[in-house]
Amino acid sequence: MMNEDKYTLLMIELNAVTKQYGSFTAVDNISFSVQTGEYFALLGPNGAGKTTIVKMLLDFTQPTSGSLSINSVPSTQAASRTAIGYLAENHHIPPHLSGWQYLQRCAELLNINRSDATDQCRRIVKQIGIEGRENTKTNTYSKGMIQRLGMGAALLGNPKLLLLDEPTAGLDPIGIIEIRQLLESLKNQGMTIFLNSHLLSEVEKICDNAAIIHQGRLLVKDNIAALIKNGDTLEDVFVRLVKG
Amino acid sequence: MPKARSSIITIAKYTLMDQVRQKSFIIMFVMCALFLLLVRNCSQGGFMVNGQTLDNEAVVRVVLKAVFHINAAGTMFLAALFSMRVFKRDRDEGMQSCILSKPITRWQYVAGKILGLLVLSVAFMFILHSIVFIMFSVNLKVVMPEYLIASLLCSFNLLFVVVAVLLFSLLMPDIIAFLCVTGIGIVSFVADGIAAVSRSPMGQAMMQQSDSTSDLSLWKVIYYLWPKLSGIQQAASSMFSREGFQGFLSIYPFINILIYSLILGALLFWRFRHEDII
Repeated sequence: MMNEDKYTLLMIELNAVTKQYGSFTAVDNISFSVQTGEYFALLGPNGAGKTTIVKMLLDFTQPTSGSLSINSVPSTQAASRTAIGYLAENHHIPPHLSGWQYLQRCAELLNINRSDATDQCRRIVKQIGIEGRENTKTNTYSKGMIQRLGMGAALLGNPKLLLLDEPTAGLDPIGIIEIRQLLESLKNQGMTIFLNSHLLSEVEKICDNAAIIHQGRLLVKDNIAALIKNGDTLEDVFVRLVKG
Repeated sequence: MPKARSSIITIAKYTLMDQVRQKSFIIMFVMCALFLLLVRNCSQGGFMVNGQTLDNEAVVRVVLKAVFHINAAGTMFLAALFSMRVFKRDRDEGMQSCILSKPITRWQYVAGKILGLLVLSVAFMFILHSIVFIMFSVNLKVVMPEYLIASLLCSFNLLFVVVAVLLFSLLMPDIIAFLCVTGIGIVSFVADGIAAVSRSPMGQAMMQQSDSTSDLSLWKVIYYLWPKLSGIQQAASSMFSREGFQGFLSIYPFINILIYSLILGALLFWRFRHEDII
């Protein structure tokens, strides 16, 4: 019974994960878990190993040692990506496609049937606020629109887990607010969100829990409210931990 | 399994669509159309040499054979061009990470890419051969359905080229991968040319004069083990050019290329399995 509860609750689990590139250790023996429905932020300075962890979760790169699982399925199996939406850092979209074509393409890759795909794409176009521009080529889109379109593609197929790698990277303040509003609107849908970011003020507003990593090592993982006690901001905590 | 098949077909479909909209593809297609316009005059018939009318069918077979080889070799070159940037383009445009973040395995992704490129190349070659076939059949009333079968047999070469370029493009810069496979093709054609000369009476006489049997046997081993791209074209064209079936010699190029394609394909799947996705 205990095990059953554990497996239904844990969406992401990292077990003593290490990733080395030659002599450089990008991720050093990290273990943590993220529960279903949690809004979780992985924080760390540039080069801390955040993106490497996301890539290992997606099986884009293999860990040197340790194991990762999503919904209790090892991340090395394609089945672990059944209900995942992923937004890459600096998301790219083929410039010759329109936003609508891109969404349709993603839906087809998820084996969503044609009528469902059209319905979902229509809903997402509205949700990400590109109505009226969905049929123009993406090379005319602003960076914010590209990020929102990437987010929309990640939402196709009603995923249970969203892996967002620096979703606000390179965006202006308005773009950042738009992405934040989109994430907040998803909060009551029971989705688990794994957010990689170094925009601490945004994380503080959106997420429930956070882990801070530095030089591949896990420094702390806790509830954000618990981290920012005594009137500190998340930024204060982050700087204190990272600078030692 | 049906889900795997549908993912492969979807990836193949988009690979094909993305290739067709490339400027280089359109330019190549226009160049091929111009080439066909040039050979159009050969299909008018009424060939005369020294005031004597030649047998239309005999001339047609020679012309068709030449056009067949140019088309088949040209399409191999184009297949290498199409294949060399496929992985890089997908990486740069974010499609590789988009596809592989879905429940699609890497072997399905690679299989989809191979299938898309192969279908495109085979269709390209078959359409060109079909145009030539129709042109000659209509104008000279000489119908040779073997011509189209021979065209399809050359698909073995295209499979080899696509798989080899995709594999090499993971190991070296795209342009070098393209040049390597083009080099393999050129060596195959040159070697077959030398072999044909050496089998001629003049070649036989020259070989009897020289006393280098051991060197020759080494070259013969290399010659037979080398990818028989030219051999497949020769064997295929023998179907319509009255050269006749030569038993194992006609089948060997197909076995050779099939084995190479399987080995390179296995290496491609293995290599891509260990590739870091950016």
